[in-house]
Amino acid sequence: MADQYLLKKDHLKPFIRKLAKDYRIVAPLLNEHGDTMFNPVADLDREEVDLDNQPQNSIKQFFFPQTEAICEYSCAEPGRYEFREAELRTDPTIFFGVRPCDLSAVLYLDVIFLRDAKDPFYLRRREVSILIGLNCNRPFENCFCNATKNGPHQEFGFDLQLTDLGDRFLVEVGRARGEELVNRWHQFFVPATASDSQTQYQALLEARGSFPRQIHVDQAIKRLREGEADPQIWQFLSQRCQDCGGCAYVCPTCTCFTISDHPASATAGTRLRSWDACTFSGFTRMAGGHNPVRRDSAAIRQRFLHKLLYDVEKHGRPSCVGCGRCVGICFGGTDIVRFINLVGQE
Amino acid sequence: MAGLATTFGSGAMTNSINEIERAEVILVSGSNTTEAHPQIARRMLDAVDRGAKLIVIDPRRTPLATMAHLHLALRPGTDIPLLNGMMKVIIDENLADDLFIEMRTENYHALRDLLNRLDLEELAATTGVGLNLIRQAAQLYARAQKAVICYCLGITQHVCGTDNVQTIANLAMLTGHVEKENTGVDPLRGQNNVQGACDMGALPNVFPSYQQVDNPEYREKFEQAWGVKLPAKPGIRLVGMTHGEPGVTLRGMYIMGENPMLSDPVLELVQENLKNLEFLAVADLFLTETAQLADVVFPAATFAEKTGTFTNSERRVQMVRQAIPVQPDCRTDGAIIMELSRRLGYEMAYDSPAEIMEEIALLAPIYGGMHHDRLETGWGMQWPCWDRQHPGTPFLHKYYFTRGKGRFIPAGHISPAEVPDDEYPLLLMTGRIYHQYHTGTMTRRSHTLHRENPEALLQLNPADADRFLVRNGETVRLASRRGTIEVKAEITEAVAAGAVYTTFHFPEAPINLLTIGAKDEKAGCPEYKVCAVRIDKV
Amino acid sequence: MPLSLNHPYLPKPAKILEIVEENPQIKTFVLALAEPEVNRAFTYAPGQFLMLSVPHCGEAPISIASSPAEPGTFHLAIRKAGKLTEAMHRLNPGDMVGVRGPYGRPFPMAELAGRELVCVAGGIGLAPLRSVIKTCLADDRYRPKKITLLYGSRCPDEIAFLRDLDEWKNREGFVGHLTVDRCTEGWEGSVGLVTTLLDRVEFKPDRNTALVCGPSLMIRAVLAELSHRGLPEERIITTLERHMKCGVGVCRHCHLDSKLVCKDGPVFTLAELRELSVMELN
Repeated sequence: MADQYLLKKDHLKPFIRKLAKDYRIVAPLLNEHGDTMFNPVADLDREEVDLDNQPQNSIKQFFFPQTEAICEYSCAEPGRYEFREAELRTDPTIFFGVRPCDLSAVLYLDVIFLRDAKDPFYLRRREVSILIGLNCNRPFENCFCNATKNGPHQEFGFDLQLTDLGDRFLVEVGRARGEELVNRWHQFFVPATASDSQTQYQALLEARGSFPRQIHVDQAIKRLREGEADPQIWQFLSQRCQDCGGCAYVCPTCTCFTISDHPASATAGTRLRSWDACTFSGFTRMAGGHNPVRRDSAAIRQRFLHKLLYDVEKHGRPSCVGCGRCVGICFGGTDIVRFINLVGQE
Repeated sequence: MAGLATTFGSGAMTNSINEIERAEVILVSGSNTTEAHPQIARRMLDAVDRGAKLIVIDPRRTPLATMAHLHLALRPGTDIPLLNGMMKVIIDENLADDLFIEMRTENYHALRDLLNRLDLEELAATTGVGLNLIRQAAQLYARAQKAVICYCLGITQHVCGTDNVQTIANLAMLTGHVEKENTGVDPLRGQNNVQGACDMGALPNVFPSYQQVDNPEYREKFEQAWGVKLPAKPGIRLVGMTHGEPGVTLRGMYIMGENPMLSDPVLELVQENLKNLEFLAVADLFLTETAQLADVVFPAATFAEKTGTFTNSERRVQMVRQAIPVQPDCRTDGAIIMELSRRLGYEMAYDSPAEIMEEIALLAPIYGGMHHDRLETGWGMQWPCWDRQHPGTPFLHKYYFTRGKGRFIPAGHISPAEVPDDEYPLLLMTGRIYHQYHTGTMTRRSHTLHRENPEALLQLNPADADRFLVRNGETVRLASRRGTIEVKAEITEAVAAGAVYTTFHFPEAPINLLTIGAKDEKAGCPEYKVCAVRIDKV
Repeated sequence: MPLSLNHPYLPKPAKILEIVEENPQIKTFVLALAEPEVNRAFTYAPGQFLMLSVPHCGEAPISIASSPAEPGTFHLAIRKAGKLTEAMHRLNPGDMVGVRGPYGRPFPMAELAGRELVCVAGGIGLAPLRSVIKTCLADDRYRPKKITLLYGSRCPDEIAFLRDLDEWKNREGFVGHLTVDRCTEGWEGSVGLVTTLLDRVEFKPDRNTALVCGPSLMIRAVLAELSHRGLPEERIITTLERHMKCGVGVCRHCHLDSKLVCKDGPVFTLAELRELSVMELN
């Protein structure tokens, strides 16, 4: 049962400063070019924590980096070929200001990387992480988390969660680690009242009602469960997809990766894991040139079926969290919302 | 550029890129737009989604051609007959914009006379495109209220490149499809800042802002500003430098961010000339094939390490801001030039790129109002931008051409310098693909880009594959009169029988060993798009 | 700080003990894991594969061609197809490679006992079926009543696994038929695609189980033919090849609609494949 507290807005920065004594803090920071991105906080007084704008990145990269060494190898002579684990540095980290979409995404990453085979790299980073969520009072331009049913407020999965109530935050305790933080820094917190809970509920209703347009995710899923989508939709979108991989990179729930050897010398090298996208031709192309996926007619088919059908069948819900980042970045106009709309029109 | 300069008076895109979205008919010639200019292709496809009609003129069935309403797969090098054919149809069917011709142009009679002497059946036969298709394209283009023509290197990389462009301009003026919003002629530049480089006078015949070197007034202005005596005659062009120019002995070169050892035609000649220099300095990011020949190599900084501006196809000047520190031992091109200049006895002491921009604004009228503080916010500005109050110019030639009246410059068919014959029976075209950029100096170092397109492929029609007994994926020997390479064959219907196509991104298959040095005399652009080759088994 | 020893991406070193040149394109490598205890404990089931590492070349999935009934070594039959396989062909006995695995869903060996097994293979496709056949012949638990092998190669010089074919033909209950796509002088056997050999078999739809492996076009043709001859689609079994990276069902390079060939396959029944959009079937 979640306990609820209040944290005055004036006390937010002092609270973060205290947290920073024991943890690396990753929070949305506004830089000098006007971009808000999740980044480690280096200097709380010189940097601006921005809780008003959607960060352009999610926190995926902090658990599953864009590139990381999975092992080192040496092949000094033909008779010797050895592999060594690569060093993995993990810093206990508090992720602050994680909105429901991004938080749900981490819960999905937990399933992918930890449920069946435990990914040692992900596990190590996740074990030392604390998630402090931030509910949304209004959607951003491309948001549709209401349609993917994981927002605008989050119900579980966080250690602590903040809701902006004007001059104060409602602070919900989710898990034990959250409780520990509140206890450690108890001077910042007073218990919330029933009236505060009510205000939070009002904020949720208002947020829910503010989505500029409805994206019919449910309908699309239902349609896909009934049978194969019209191939003309795949072709239309595949022709317009500009093969940039941007969607997979910004998506909080994309986890596809590739593995490659990078020689440092003739006798040694590093094996790296790096982000990949199923929309690339090379993702499926086999040695010898055969490719089971035809780019011009099916480049984006796996992407959307994975998010809106296969994950529904396997995990019970779509893996799209409605953050809208792909809509913002797609240069070809072939984002998931466009697909959902096309399927709806069939 | 030279082509549009003589017909319209100015050589850049007449429209802005976003106007393409609102055209009703888009005629694309010699541009593999989805692969070379994907953002412009996006506008084209958005227009098509809204009901616009797309006509693609390209010898190959490019991805854009597969999405076109009309694809005119002409024989390489027959653009002028094709466009003349379209214009003849337009005149014959009374689809010309007589009012526009009367009010806004000159020399129409010369075009009309030329077209009268031509026979449509013959023109169609020359191009290899069915007359019916030519007619359809002509009617579609002429009847539209708003039509744009986009062209790229498929038009300019011919010995008659300038004439090709002039013919395109003729077509636009004939139908009044210029000088208005969402209508015009749009050359797509081959590199992200080639427009900017030309604007700044990185051309042998002009100072910044296209002020001619041989014009005493302009020359005096720059001599005064810079405090030195400047040459009164134009210099030599790039191909003249790498292939040799009669009467000129080049003693030294400083090459910045260019790799002629892979990107210029007739590579053997390039190598010979570079090796014969007394001194060669190269500034680049990596040790390219050209840098390997240099006496001195300056490790240069990348786009991410410097602040300045890029100017794109639509004349838009945009800020590029430094994102990471200059890497150890590297310097920006600006810093290298300033230090070199100082040591050569001419002090250049700009404290910042913004200061350099101020001088540009002072001396280059079309950049008259371009200052970093104005460019910092928003999406930059399009020249001409005459002063600080001027907001920039989205489309050119509104109400009048830069040169006053647009001039028709008619042209007849000019054959490519080298066509297939018995000994070399195939026609070679060269171009680019999406994932690699130019000679691959940067792109081949990215693991993912490299994976997407790891090797040179020679596109070959199935009929020719049968003829020469080539299997898909087989390595063949490709030869021209100038050189030979080995390259893997890709059998596809995208090229017509009799023609082959490959890219120039891969040093292991340096296609420019085979290409021809013949060039368009007016623009200096080599004929990369046509030469004769043969295929042999390895 | 070191990670656990059960790091799924850390290959184990294996030594090449022997190399058999099957034909100009295919070599069979006999290997053993470098660490004796690990080698002793190593086991697998027919149809599974290993992720093979070759220095600087990354990894590729290779079917295990030997039988778990013959422990102590394992065999990888490798056809030259790209950078890694060509590098592998340049190695010699005594050289080291890296392996991860075994991975993948194996052939349903328990279902083979007492059946009339028909194996149809093309070229390198015989490799995983070799594991099945050797196991069937060595282990009574899986012994079919009859094994018929139909094996197609491009030309007589390219017929691989000759030693095995020679050994099997003398075994009771085994019948083998060979064919080549094109013949050369001296060849007196069948000429034609491997589908032409299907006529030699007296199919009994309630008794047969068929295993098919080879190039995609061949798989397509053979699966269609087998289905046509009345075999139930759950008894027509194939093993698919795909580009793979992790081998453990996370990276998704081997996606096959909702399935992953490394985890849900590589062995599939035709009945399962009918539900999916599969290159080999379309």
